[in-house]
Amino acid sequence: MAQHILEVLVENSPGVLARVAGLFSRRAYNIERLSVGPTTDPSISQMDIVVNLEGHALEQVIAQLDKLINVISIKEIIPNKTAPAVHDTQPDYQN
Amino acid sequence: MSQMNGASSLVASLEAAGVDVMFGIPGGAILPAYDPIFSSSIRHILVRHEQGAGHAATGYAQVTGRVGVCIATSGPGATNLVTPLADAAMDSVPVVAITGQVPSVAIGTDAFQEADIRGITMPFAKHNYLITNPADIPRAIAEAFYIASTGRPGPVLVDIAKDALQAMTDFKYPTSVNLAGYKPKSIPDNQSILDAAALITQSSKPVFYVGGGVIKANASRELLELAQLLGAPVVTTLMARGAFPDSHPLHLGMPGMHGTVAAVTALQKADLLITLGARFDDRVTGKLSTFAVNAKVLHADIDPAEIGKNRFADVAVLGDLKNTISALIPALKSALAKNQPDLTPWLNQMNSLQAAYPLGYDKPNDGTLSPQYVIERLGKISGPEAIFAAGVGQHQMWASQFVSYENPRTWLNSGGLGTMGYAVPAAMGAKVGAPDTTVWAIDGDGCFQMTNQELTTCALNNIPIKVAIINNESLGMVRQWQTMFYEGRYSNTNLESKRVPNFPMLAEAMGCVGLSCEREEDVDATIEKAMGINDQPVVIDFRVHRDAMVWPMVAAGTSNDDIMIARETTPDWDSQEL
Ligand SMILES: Cc1ncc(C[n+]2csc(CCOP(=O)(O)OP(=O)(O)O)c2C)c(N)n1
Ligand SMILES: [Mg+2]
Repeated sequence: MAQHILEVLVENSPGVLARVAGLFSRRAYNIERLSVGPTTDPSISQMDIVVNLEGHALEQVIAQLDKLINVISIKEIIPNKTAPAVHDTQPDYQN
Repeated sequence: MSQMNGASSLVASLEAAGVDVMFGIPGGAILPAYDPIFSSSIRHILVRHEQGAGHAATGYAQVTGRVGVCIATSGPGATNLVTPLADAAMDSVPVVAITGQVPSVAIGTDAFQEADIRGITMPFAKHNYLITNPADIPRAIAEAFYIASTGRPGPVLVDIAKDALQAMTDFKYPTSVNLAGYKPKSIPDNQSILDAAALITQSSKPVFYVGGGVIKANASRELLELAQLLGAPVVTTLMARGAFPDSHPLHLGMPGMHGTVAAVTALQKADLLITLGARFDDRVTGKLSTFAVNAKVLHADIDPAEIGKNRFADVAVLGDLKNTISALIPALKSALAKNQPDLTPWLNQMNSLQAAYPLGYDKPNDGTLSPQYVIERLGKISGPEAIFAAGVGQHQMWASQFVSYENPRTWLNSGGLGTMGYAVPAAMGAKVGAPDTTVWAIDGDGCFQMTNQELTTCALNNIPIKVAIINNESLGMVRQWQTMFYEGRYSNTNLESKRVPNFPMLAEAMGCVGLSCEREEDVDATIEKAMGINDQPVVIDFRVHRDAMVWPMVAAGTSNDDIMIARETTPDWDSQEL
């Protein structure tokens, strides 16, 4: 199964990492790798989440993630391409 | 802008949010807030257990469509709210819970009555806050009400540290809420409406699969128009009872584990499920891989994460159902003008199933009282405006089956979480929200013993609800499973509640009128007596036959095709043309 990277912009508020991690654990999705870093806007952080999911399961993860109030946007980066195709899932999944 | 302490800012914020009533119990950490509550215009109802506060807020919200509010102290007060908040989450009920937290310097030190209620509620609350700075209180309250009541409704918790309630702050209630990560989509895309209309006209066996979302969206009238326009059969899930009149000829009843043969079969054999605010719950689908295998799915919902969660949607329509159905009506009209499918054979099939397998029950042959009969009479005598709140168990299923619901927001129950103890406090909240309407709790003898203490609250606060205990002296639904799947080994389901407690005396002790009934010929008179008492809560102990079972039944994990209409009896499919 292909790895997918989700670039998730979140509000830099306390508990946001717990919200994201908790969502993955309670819905029984695996996280392959997770990193959190700042963005140029101090009120917003970026999480890069690597998941081993595709198709329906990946869509569900994105939809559930987007339901978190502190999640601002999610970009899915399709792997194994020299120039990664980026598509912004936001329009469809605007909660 | 004015100077006040955080507690006053909290109460002023709740007033600004339009709160007229809240249910709660004070304690150390929330105590500063109870001082301004004392002089506030908001009615505070002092409950006897925080679980009661939470379910009362839920009952109030389900009846009024407004946000229900509950309030508790830190630690045990907050953890007592966990069950009703999880319940509200599962049934998408707009509730705001306010909890006090230990002072901010003490957070993380295992201080007296410290519990991480934000962490505890994180998995199911729609959102939650921990406030340590008093300046953040008005914004948090405004956001909490906005989040709870918009999009797919749900519970939001605001936990406030005691020192934030005590410190001085400026009060200014925000005039608008803008959340970067939360923009509920209420207007459906035009293209999705056109696709939906096209899909419907291609179907010769469509069925409206109606869920609780239709009630949340106040879209019953629109649904009636849409259903009559297409002339397709309608099924209403446990959460949607009352969304479409039971008396309507297109209505086949409730689908699911204890649904009617016609409703279950309509979903199974349909070529299109017109899914409105429903979520393909396992209690409806049965074994998912065998559910409605030949059906295409049109799924309209406000929550994008429901689309495709359990069942692939051929066409999805995202938006508020009132808007969605309103837009679908003209679109369908013009699509039907070009291509009007003939639904007559399909309707005839469903009508003949309905006629062959109506809901029914056998009266016990030992002369004891039939629980279904009691519930049927409760519905008939109270009339279609009355509100019913059920507990969880057999009596809940019978209350869904044998009361005829004609109006939305007249049937309240704990559908998703299945919370025993829901009925009495939810009825209390419902009665507060609809004081001029008859409100019945139809409760089990087991459920009643979990939360009946709120009858004291009702008696003292002029909340004259009526409670019908369906006393089968057992945890009847569990007993039914033991009868069916455990060879009648009744491990720990015998409550002996015809011996102890004495329910009428218990009711009297709590300031209610206590009545008892165990003969069929006394049922009407007892109900009418209760209907005549409106200055006090009334409790009737209906002492019913213990072995009555809920039918039809699709056993958990099996296919809807294997629906049983009685023990080891399935419908005679060969005599039906399907
Ligand atoms: C809080 C809680 N505990 C346990 C259960 C499991 N349970 C489901 S129905 C039921 C029996 C309910 O008994 P009663 O209230 O007498 O209703 P009856 O089925 O007899 O009508 C039980 C124990 C539950 N749903 N909720
Ligand atoms: Mg019982």
